[in-house]
Amino acid sequence: MRADVAHLDINGRLRSLVGYSIGLALYTLVVVAIYPAFKNSTSLDTLVHNDATAAALFGVSGKLTTSGGWLNANIYANFFPLIMLLLTIGYGAASLAGQDEDGTLGLIVTLPMRRTRVVAQKVVAMAFQAAVIAVAVAVFALAGRWFDMSVSLGGVASISAAVLLLGLDFGLVAMAVGAIARSKGVAIGTVAALAAASYLISSLAPVASWIRPLRYASLFYWSVGNSQITAGVSLADFAVLILPGVTAGVFAVFAFSRLDVR
Amino acid sequence: MNLAIETIGLTKTYGATQAVVELDLEVKHGQCFGFLGPNGAGKTTTIRLLLALHRPSRGQAMVLGLDAQRDSVEIHRRVGYLPGDLALYPRMTGQRHLDWFARARDVDLGLATELAERFQVVLNRPIRELSTGNRQKVGLILTFMHRPELLVLDEPTSGLDPLMQAEFEHLVSETVAEGRTVFLSSHELDEVQRVADRVALIKDGRLVTTDTVESLRRKAPQRVEARFPVSVDPGPFARIAGVAVTSCEDSRIVLEVTGAIGPVLQAIAERDPIDVTARHADLDELFLDLYGHRPAEPSHAS
Repeated sequence: MRADVAHLDINGRLRSLVGYSIGLALYTLVVVAIYPAFKNSTSLDTLVHNDATAAALFGVSGKLTTSGGWLNANIYANFFPLIMLLLTIGYGAASLAGQDEDGTLGLIVTLPMRRTRVVAQKVVAMAFQAAVIAVAVAVFALAGRWFDMSVSLGGVASISAAVLLLGLDFGLVAMAVGAIARSKGVAIGTVAALAAASYLISSLAPVASWIRPLRYASLFYWSVGNSQITAGVSLADFAVLILPGVTAGVFAVFAFSRLDVR
Repeated sequence: MNLAIETIGLTKTYGATQAVVELDLEVKHGQCFGFLGPNGAGKTTTIRLLLALHRPSRGQAMVLGLDAQRDSVEIHRRVGYLPGDLALYPRMTGQRHLDWFARARDVDLGLATELAERFQVVLNRPIRELSTGNRQKVGLILTFMHRPELLVLDEPTSGLDPLMQAEFEHLVSETVAEGRTVFLSSHELDEVQRVADRVALIKDGRLVTTDTVESLRRKAPQRVEARFPVSVDPGPFARIAGVAVTSCEDSRIVLEVTGAIGPVLQAIAERDPIDVTARHADLDELFLDLYGHRPAEPSHAS
């Protein structure tokens, strides 16, 4: 399959993608580089232990001073998914609804290609952008080995992949909502709210008993909220993360095929 | 019949708004077809239905013998489309647009380069830095660069200066001379009547008429203007069959004649006129009549 549309979209976002990647890579490097200064700080663990609710709000659970706890609390449980979602929800909403609003979608859909293929190429472009920042984070998280951290390639790769899938899920939902509502703003607003709710449910589940049963409905729980940084990402986690993305993708194709393009 | 475009009962509604209603249209191969109508008449919606950008509420559109909805990929391969509200990628240069579209359409840049020279297009600056006219030129090249069998152009000369408008008209004439078809939508009659073989008029989503430009000219009423040495009574003129008094100011009378001209000239001659002119009404005037928008002239006719 020729990747013309994917190529065009990636090129148009190259600067911001490079910016995101460099920023995340530097942030990750700083986080792992300062780990040696905190690894023996028992007061940090005590702080988390004494106020588990406040810690939970930031997605922190367990010991902060272990390698996994440190990476989870500073990168994988919050900051990295946040940036990932900014990128994928933003692109998902802009790729169909946004381009329809600015008029450039008409240029694309009058090219000799099926709309299904247009969506497929947009998904490729989204996945590529998400993969680039996931790799940037993973590479610098692995650099923690030089800073007294115990990190495995498999562990970092799998949780990075889980965050990537998390981003694709919400990005594809944004794409589908945008195609249904014909509005980039509606897509961003709706899906950002959905993602925030998902994050809060997963973060607060360990400390709020009434929320706990809802955690299975949170995609954050299946990607970073169930100790995946230490226990690894299971096949069940991956299966649950793949399903919503595929479903949203099907909805996006269906909605886009019926969309009256401006 | 060998048709480039055919619509049968084509209808598009948006909620309670009827944008296109039961539109039956036939455009033969190898001609320039003008599609005229005021703003909001349904021209752009019709074009969007032809190109499967929109789905019809009822009816069918056939383009190059193919079903507009079902065979849209093949149609898009063989059609060049210039949207009325052309939007390009603001940060990309014109050249990058040409490169990308050439790659997406799997054609070389030969014709695009030739057209860029012909239209003196600025290609090395981002689209956002170009004037409306220069953006429109880039759009025209993107539309023509793959030598499509059918060109669907929605308000193609908006923003072009008169020289470039003339160049565009030459390009359309050359395209038609090669046996290709041009479907030209516009609200500017002057432009259409210079290049179109046939025209269709649309108003409120409905087809008003389809005819050749020459036939429309012939059908246009004659406009007779006479001046007399004294004030004139419009009554006798108004009673002549096929004559309407358009205006009457003291010694000057303007008549619109759709019947025989003889009785009118005879009635004028009997009143010893100072000056008489007779001509077919402009197509503009005919279209204003058809659209029901002719501005009222001052009249003292009783």
